[in-house]
Amino acid sequence: MKRIEVKLSLEVVAPLLDVVKEVVDGLDRRLAAPNKLEDLDADLRAGWRDDLLRSQNEDCRRFLALFDREFFASGSISFDEENAESVLRACAAIRLRMRASTLRDLPDETIESAGPEVDQMEEPARKAFLGYVFLATLQELIIQHLDSTILEG
Amino acid sequence: MSGDASRAETEPAGGTAGLPAPSGNWRVVVLNDPVSLMSYVVLVFRKIFGFDEALARRHMLEVHERGRSVVWAGMREKAEAYVFTLQQWHLTAILEPDEAH
Repeated sequence: MKRIEVKLSLEVVAPLLDVVKEVVDGLDRRLAAPNKLEDLDADLRAGWRDDLLRSQNEDCRRFLALFDREFFASGSISFDEENAESVLRACAAIRLRMRASTLRDLPDETIESAGPEVDQMEEPARKAFLGYVFLATLQELIIQHLDSTILEG
Repeated sequence: MSGDASRAETEPAGGTAGLPAPSGNWRVVVLNDPVSLMSYVVLVFRKIFGFDEALARRHMLEVHERGRSVVWAGMREKAEAYVFTLQQWHLTAILEPDEAH
């Protein structure tokens, strides 16, 4: 089984987990992405939404499980065929929610090109933005190293 | 699942963006969002529809540049299943009737 281990800076990442956890808590009862299902009948729509929510919550649970006691001891997290898809989807959900909430006032250009101006951002947008970038980095790492595992899974 | 999607994709039906529009009674359409990484969208298209890298990238670029891409068309039940799976991956996907049918 292919597995990648990533060593993270506890000093940098640990503070970002607070804001990420807050977003995950907010996703407990709402979908990260808007879904347009007007065409479905009410019962099917409700079941559809519940199934999506259940899937989203399970993905977020697996994502948060990365940051366990071992992470806080060593700074390491690992991805493999067991968690890669869930973590990818959870990162997508959390980023979407961040963009629609804490980061909603930032223009796309700032989000896409933010560099030195990050330090000039006000809290809590600054920390949320760093979390947003961190999650994208995790996604890129997984896609870069485990894409064949995901495609075959 | 992926095999059918690939077959549908090869049937030209008057696409407008250089991509052949899949034919069928119901269309699965992916809409642009400002958050999802391009590499993520490509991976999701490959995973769900079995597209090769080049076709997945073309659909991703169509979404990015034109705001939407028809990624599959066919029977309603299967189209619903694809929309659900795309939404599970947090892409904005909708189902729309193909007026030509």
